[in-house]
Amino acid sequence: MNEKDIMKEWKRDSIIIGTPTNILAALTAFIPVIWLCTTYDCWPPVTTVLTAWGMVAASFGAFYFVEPVSYYAALGLSGTYLSFLSGNIGNMRVPCAALALDVTDSTPGTIQAEVVSTMAICGSIITNLIGTTSAVIIGSAVLAVLPEFIVSGLTQYASSAIFGATFGNFAIKYPKVAVFALAIPVALKLFTPLAAAWVIVITVFGTLLIARVFYKKGMLA
Amino acid sequence: MSVIEQVQQVSNAPILWILCGITVVISAVQAVLYMRQCSKITREAGIDPHIPKEAFRVGFISAIGPALGVFIVMVGLMASIGGPMAWLRLSIIGAAATELSAANIGAEACGVALGSEQYTLICLAVSWFAMALNGAGWLLFTGVATPSLETLRNKVSGGDMKWLVVLSGACSLGIFGYLNSGEILKGVGNTIAVLAGAISMVILVKTVCKKFPRLMEYSLGIAMIIGMIFSVGYDQLFR
Repeated sequence: MNEKDIMKEWKRDSIIIGTPTNILAALTAFIPVIWLCTTYDCWPPVTTVLTAWGMVAASFGAFYFVEPVSYYAALGLSGTYLSFLSGNIGNMRVPCAALALDVTDSTPGTIQAEVVSTMAICGSIITNLIGTTSAVIIGSAVLAVLPEFIVSGLTQYASSAIFGATFGNFAIKYPKVAVFALAIPVALKLFTPLAAAWVIVITVFGTLLIARVFYKKGMLA
Repeated sequence: MSVIEQVQQVSNAPILWILCGITVVISAVQAVLYMRQCSKITREAGIDPHIPKEAFRVGFISAIGPALGVFIVMVGLMASIGGPMAWLRLSIIGAAATELSAANIGAEACGVALGSEQYTLICLAVSWFAMALNGAGWLLFTGVATPSLETLRNKVSGGDMKWLVVLSGACSLGIFGYLNSGEILKGVGNTIAVLAGAISMVILVKTVCKKFPRLMEYSLGIAMIIGMIFSVGYDQLFR
């Protein structure tokens, strides 16, 4: 088989695995609340649930579309299914996938890159599941003996440092583009009242546009 | 039994672990299915079988740092929404902040405060519906629309493989520029974490990892720890 056929097969299989599992998980996540309402006969009024739904959709609805579109280039086909089922995308999935591409010297767009980023994301999902599950079992006990500064370090600063490190790693490759990627959202947040979803869209597509201009002018080797 | 005690007891009912576990297991099964698919394609494409194993290890190791953060946040979330729900919500899409706001919105829709004496089982149900409906937004959109995103990427790249590489890098820079801007605007401590994380990563990749390529696997974890040390140090010394 040549690379093109393999890529086709890869895409087909990725969709066959991803589509049903993500949709199924959306449904099974309702099992606990249905159990709650039937067991204790505490069905809330439909209007109240709709009100709550409207409120969460107003807060997060735009992200349902903006995040998958914006992260797609970094995650790929199978990576998108995996990451949006397992969550922790910015602080775990993308950094792990990007680092694995670097370590194995894989070029984005090739079948090897697809396999590498998928395997890295799977590895990080296993770690995350171990983390949440052990938090259930030993969480409170561990938290009781950890010094305060470690707890605050992990809860307040771990994400910031990971975001910074991942940005730094991409910035090595495209330093000129990186300047704009950081300046655009900072300026938008400081000087405009735009909602977060718009800031993401403008930042990602603005950065993409600038990269395109540099690329066309041959300024990105 | 007071309302608060009843809500606490119900949200920690033993059977809930099994009911919540169904969705957690689906996430694990999906990962296993993709790993099987990877090993099949690795054989067919003649990729060095060492490479996917290496990639898995990089993901597994690099996730330890952020997973420790999730671990601690989860202990806090268990106290407010119950153990089984915290386990479910943090094992799938939705960060702790997202889930807490969805749970709060549920309480608000009932006109009461989360965890108060007026927060009855009916309100608990509204909170749980709000969390499940919110998560379903991402899951259904990606479940249905991901193949179209692939088409979109191919259109934007126009078959130019060199541009596709730059495009992936530019999108990632945009996303992390956005994420970092949020951290920087939070205050000095977070800004220090971002800067120390970024600078130590650049130094690691450009110098240390060139000499010791094996260290590349741990670069993200090391940069995270350095970033945290600087911020915590700042907090201890100046606040």
